Amino acid sequence: MNPTDLLPPTSPLGLPAPLWFIRFFKVFGFSLHMVPMNLWFAGILLSAVLLLFRDPAARRLSARLMDQMPIIIALGINFGVIPLLFIQVGYYRVFYPATILIAWPWFAVIGLVMAGYYGTYLYVVQLRRDRLTPWSRALGWIVAFIFMGVGFIFVNGLSLMSSPGQWPAVWSAAHLSGAATGLALDLQNASILPRWLLMFGLALTTVAVYSLCDATLLASREPPEYRAWVPRFALLLYSLGLVWAAAAGTGYILTMPSASRSFLLTPPQLALTVITALAPGLPWLLLILYRWRPARLLVLLAALSQFGMLVLNAVSRQFLQDAEVAPFAAVGAEPVNLQLVPLVLFLLFFLAGSGVVIWILVKVRQAETSLATASR
Amino acid sequence: MHYPWWYVPFLTAPMLIAAVATIHVFVSMYAVGGGFFLAVETQHAYSTRNRDYLAYLHDHAWFFILLTVVFGAITGVGIWWTIGLSSPLATETLIHIFVFAWGMEYVTFLVEIVSAFAFYYSWEKLDSLTHIRIGWVYAISAWLSLVIITAITAFMLNPGAWPQHPDFWTAFFNPQTVPQILARTGGAFLLASLYVYLHATFRVKDLQLRNLIGSRSSRPGLLGALLVTLGGLWWYLALPESARAALVVASALNILMVVIFAVTIVVFLMLYLGPYRNPGWLTPGFSLLLFAFGMAAIGTGEFIREAVRKPYIIYNVVLGDQILTSEIPSVQEKGFLNSGQWTKAYLATQLPQVFSNGEIDDQKLLALPQPDRIQVGQLLFQYHCNDCHSLAGYTAVPALLQGWSPEMIHALVLNPEKAKFFMPPWSGTPAEAELLSEYLISITPAQPTGMSYDGAH
Repeated sequence: MNPTDLLPPTSPLGLPAPLWFIRFFKVFGFSLHMVPMNLWFAGILLSAVLLLFRDPAARRLSARLMDQMPIIIALGINFGVIPLLFIQVGYYRVFYPATILIAWPWFAVIGLVMAGYYGTYLYVVQLRRDRLTPWSRALGWIVAFIFMGVGFIFVNGLSLMSSPGQWPAVWSAAHLSGAATGLALDLQNASILPRWLLMFGLALTTVAVYSLCDATLLASREPPEYRAWVPRFALLLYSLGLVWAAAAGTGYILTMPSASRSFLLTPPQLALTVITALAPGLPWLLLILYRWRPARLLVLLAALSQFGMLVLNAVSRQFLQDAEVAPFAAVGAEPVNLQLVPLVLFLLFFLAGSGVVIWILVKVRQAETSLATASR
Repeated sequence: MHYPWWYVPFLTAPMLIAAVATIHVFVSMYAVGGGFFLAVETQHAYSTRNRDYLAYLHDHAWFFILLTVVFGAITGVGIWWTIGLSSPLATETLIHIFVFAWGMEYVTFLVEIVSAFAFYYSWEKLDSLTHIRIGWVYAISAWLSLVIITAITAFMLNPGAWPQHPDFWTAFFNPQTVPQILARTGGAFLLASLYVYLHATFRVKDLQLRNLIGSRSSRPGLLGALLVTLGGLWWYLALPESARAALVVASALNILMVVIFAVTIVVFLMLYLGPYRNPGWLTPGFSLLLFAFGMAAIGTGEFIREAVRKPYIIYNVVLGDQILTSEIPSVQEKGFLNSGQWTKAYLATQLPQVFSNGEIDDQKLLALPQPDRIQVGQLLFQYHCNDCHSLAGYTAVPALLQGWSPEMIHALVLNPEKAKFFMPPWSGTPAEAELLSEYLISITPAQPTGMSYDGAH
C-alpha cells in the first residue's frame, strides 16, 4: 500500500492565510505551550520525588511547585489551543488520519487530563491545609504518571502525523472491516521513546530555571535558607536535565528514519540543529554565573534564554516535520483564500487581550507588593 | 471517505461528540452566567458592605473555578479532540472558515482564565473597584466566547447564503446566530441561578443570607428562562424547512420537544413560586430538583439542536457520511469505494482482484464470491452508514430493519433520502448498493414471533 494514496484531497476552501502565517502561529503557540507543559511534565514528578527527602528546603520547593500547579495547568491547556488550531488549518491532511488511527488513546487524553487536573487540586487542597497523608502523596505520584502518560500519547500522535509511511501498519493492526478501531499506538516507531525522554530532559531544565525564578522573584516571604538552597539545586537539576536531554536526543537522532537524520545533519539545516543542541548551554552558564554572582538580571536572562531554547526546539521541530511530511503531501499546496478582515481582527483581539492580561497581572502584582509592604 | 472512519461500538463516533458537547454545555453556560453573577453580586456586596455576602461569594468563586476552569476548559478542548476524530471533514471545513473566529475565542479564553484566577486568588488583596472591574472583565470575555462559539455552531445548523457566497461574514452572521445567542445567553443566566441555589443551599446555614441569595438570583434566572423561550422560538423559525419537518416526523424528537417545553415551564414556575416569591422554600432538596429540571431542559435542547441537522454535519455543506454535498454527483459516478482513499486502499490490500487499471471495477465486485461480497458490504456500511447507525446499540441497523424483505432493503439502500428525508442520498454505484444490501440482509433478523393477525382474516 502506498501511504501517499491514503492522504485526503486538499480543502476546496483554500487556506485562510498564507502558510508562513499559519506556521508562525503554530510554532509561537507551541513555544508558549511548552513552558507550562514542561512544568507539569517534569515538575509534578519532581515534587513527588522531593517529598522523599527530609531537607526542609526540598520539601518547600515541592510544596511551592504543587501550589502553583493548578494555574500552570490552566495556562498550559490554554496555550495548547493555538498550536492545535493552526495545526488543523495547515496540516489537516496528516493530523486527522494520524489521530484517528490512535483514536482511543487520543480521546483518552480528555479524561486523563481531567483526572490529573482534579488530582492536582485535591493534592493542593491537602497541601494548603498541611494535611499531606500517605494517600495524598500517592496521589501526587499518580498525577505525575498521568501527565507523563499524556505526554507519551502526544508524542505518538505527533510522530505518526509526520510519518504517513507508518499508517498502513498501524491501521492494519487495529481495524474492523476497514474502519479504524483506534485501539493502536505507533509503538513500532523506535524514535518515540527517545523523543518522549528528550522532552522529559528539556522539561527538567525548564523546571530548574522556573524554580530559580520563583525563589528569586516570587518567594520573598520564604526563609533565606530556602532562597539560598534553590540556586544550588536549580543548577544541579539543570545539569541533570542537560545530560538526560543529550543522551535522549542522541538516541532520538539515531532511531529516527535515515532521511530525517540526514536532513537534520546536512547543511543548511545542520546549522540550526547545532544551535538547537547547544542552546541549553546558555541558561546553564547563566545558572553557574548566578551561583558565582547572584543578580536578578541573570535570573531574567536565564528565563529568557530558556524560552529561546524552547523556541529553537519548536522551530527545528517544525522544519523537521515539514521535511518528513513533504514526500507524502505538499503542505500548503492549496491556494490562499485570504480572510483579511478576520485576520486583522484576530490580531487586534490578540493585542487587546494581551493588554488586558498585562493590566490584570500588574494590578495583582501591585496588590501583592502593597500587602507585603504593609505586613512589614 | 477521505479520512479513516473511527468505528465506535454501540454508540457510533459522532455520539461521542454529543456526549462531550452536552456535558461541556452544562458547565460552559454556568461559566458565562456565573461570571455575570459574581461580577454583579460582588459589586452589590461591596456597595452594601455586606461582609457575609462577600464571604459567600468568595466561597462560590472557588466552586466556580473548580468547575469551570477545570471541567469546563478541558471538555471545551475535548470537543476539539472529539470532532476531529469523529467528523474530520466537517472539522476541516469549519476550521478553514472560522480559524480566526476560533483564534479570537482563544483570546477570550485566555482573558477568562487569567481574570478568573485573579478574581479569586486576589480576594481581599485588590481594592474593591479593581476587584469588581476584574469580575466584569471575566464576565464580558466569557460572554464574547459564547457569542463566537455559538455563531459557529449556528452555522452548522443553517449556513444561510454561505454556499452561494462563501465568505467569513456570511458564515458568521447566519440566520441562526442571533436566536442561538439569545437562547444560550438565557440558558447561561438560568443555569447560573440554579448552580448558585445548589451551592448556597448546601453551604449557607444562615437563613437570612440564604434568602438574600435566593431572591437576588431569581430575577436573572427568570430572565434567563424567558430568553431561552424567546430564543428557542426564533431558533425554530430560523430552521431550514427540512429541519423543522424532522422535528415533526422523528418521533424521538417529537417527544423531546414536548419534554423541553414542559420542563422549561416547570423550571419557570419553580423559580417564580420558589426563590422569587418565597425565598424560604430554598432547601437542598428543592434546589436539587430545580437543578435537575434545568439540566434536563438544557440537555434536551442540546440534543435536539444536534439531531435536527441530520443528515448533515454542516447543513447543505457536509453530510454525515463525510462527503461534501458538492461531491455527491462525482462520487455516484465514480463509485463510493473508488472515491474514498481509505476504502480504495483497503480493497487494494484485501481484494486486489477487483481492480482494473488501478480502479475498482463494478463487474468484478459483483463477481466476487459471497463471503467477499459481504466483506465489501460491511466496508460500505462502515464508511457510508456507521456515522448514524451502529450494528448493536444506538439506532442499530439490525433492529431498524427487522422483518424487512430483501427487496425493501435494496430499495432503501438505493434511495434512502426518499424513504426518510433526513437520510443522506446513496453516494455509490448500483453495484455497490447491491453489495451493501446483501450485507444488510445478512445482519437483518427475521420478523419477531409472538404477533398474530389471525383476527384480521
